[in-house]
Amino acid sequence: MDAFWNVFLWGYIYSTVIAIIALTVYGMATRPHLVKKLILLSILSDTANLLAVMIGMRKGFIKPPVFPGISYTNHPVANTTQLAKFADTAVDPVPQVLVVTAIVIGLAVLVFLGYVLILLYQKYGTLDVRLLEAKITGKGGKK
Amino acid sequence: MAEKTGSLRDISLAVLASLIIILFAIALVNTMTISIPPQEQHRWLSWEFLTSTYNWAVKKTWAASPEVVTSVLWDYRGLDTVYETSVFFLAIIGGLMLVRNYHPGKKYSEKGMSLIARTITKITVVSVPVVAASVALHGHLTPGGGFQGGSIFAVASLLAIVALGSGFLLNRGWSKSRLLGFRTLGLIIIASVALTLPVIGLLDGVKAYVIQNQYKPWAPVSFGYTANIPFLGIILYSGTLVFLNLAEFLAVSAGLSLAFLIISLPREELKKSGGIE
Repeated sequence: MDAFWNVFLWGYIYSTVIAIIALTVYGMATRPHLVKKLILLSILSDTANLLAVMIGMRKGFIKPPVFPGISYTNHPVANTTQLAKFADTAVDPVPQVLVVTAIVIGLAVLVFLGYVLILLYQKYGTLDVRLLEAKITGKGGKK
Repeated sequence: MAEKTGSLRDISLAVLASLIIILFAIALVNTMTISIPPQEQHRWLSWEFLTSTYNWAVKKTWAASPEVVTSVLWDYRGLDTVYETSVFFLAIIGGLMLVRNYHPGKKYSEKGMSLIARTITKITVVSVPVVAASVALHGHLTPGGGFQGGSIFAVASLLAIVALGSGFLLNRGWSKSRLLGFRTLGLIIIASVALTLPVIGLLDGVKAYVIQNQYKPWAPVSFGYTANIPFLGIILYSGTLVFLNLAEFLAVSAGLSLAFLIISLPREELKKSGGIE
């Protein structure tokens, strides 16, 4: 019974994350307003980061991947036994490394798209893609 | 703006999106990337990283730092992080097109939130940069690093902009060119740290590679890892890691503060300085 609940709950969490990704992709394709697309993009990138961190999780181990007890002035030599003991209790560092840079790059992309949206709004006075199409091409657009 | 005519298209898009994502999830589970419930054993790569970054016995693969994440970021795949920093820089440069004709000079309004919010913000705005500097300076010893410290610092400038008014920082000399200067200074430090060992290797006639940190048998030059400083004793600085963390802290904090400052400029100011006809 315990094993069943383990699989059920973890499967539920993973499928929730994957459902959020599917919803954001759908929303970005269908919503006509550019700010809504931007919000959905930020939710998508955050969910992808969450998925990466969850992949790196180890059941039952929560120590950060930092060898304990080291400071600027106190840095003893670590032997193989201590290292193996530390590595055995630490979480997976590789997804954390990917996510650290992904967050900053995601923020930079978000800020850049924000600038582009401000420019578009200043020039055309709207951020609805249907009205934008009508204003840029001068025809059609709004059905 | 719900429109009846678009509903068939929306449904087909929804089916397509869920199909793609379900296939992606099945692929992740099938290749054992996702295991339900989470795995208990390490993957091979993470075990290698965890046991080699602070392994004093095998110095040809170590990074002289107990912090595995910073070691991977700035040592094992340092060149990749340099490219990511340049992507960030280019995004900020793209934002500067908004204010390319911007010439500050007049005083901006310092009207922010209520008195309570302003008082609380004046306390936190001073303490947040202290945390940020500590996170960046201990980046090679404790969890954190240049990226994280820079992001924390940007929170302080965002707080000041929102609660104390956009004029608070602008009237105190946080100009576009000054912040860009700090940003560029950080990038120059990163580039010079990355190129120091290749130049030394070239002068000595031995091999060395770009953004090298520690001694390798095939590239016998090194930044060292401990230094004897008067009154402090022997400190561990982990070669290039502490310099790169500090430079990245400078670059990210100045870049993000600049991005937030540009967005917070008054609307008519943006319109005037953007050069839109």
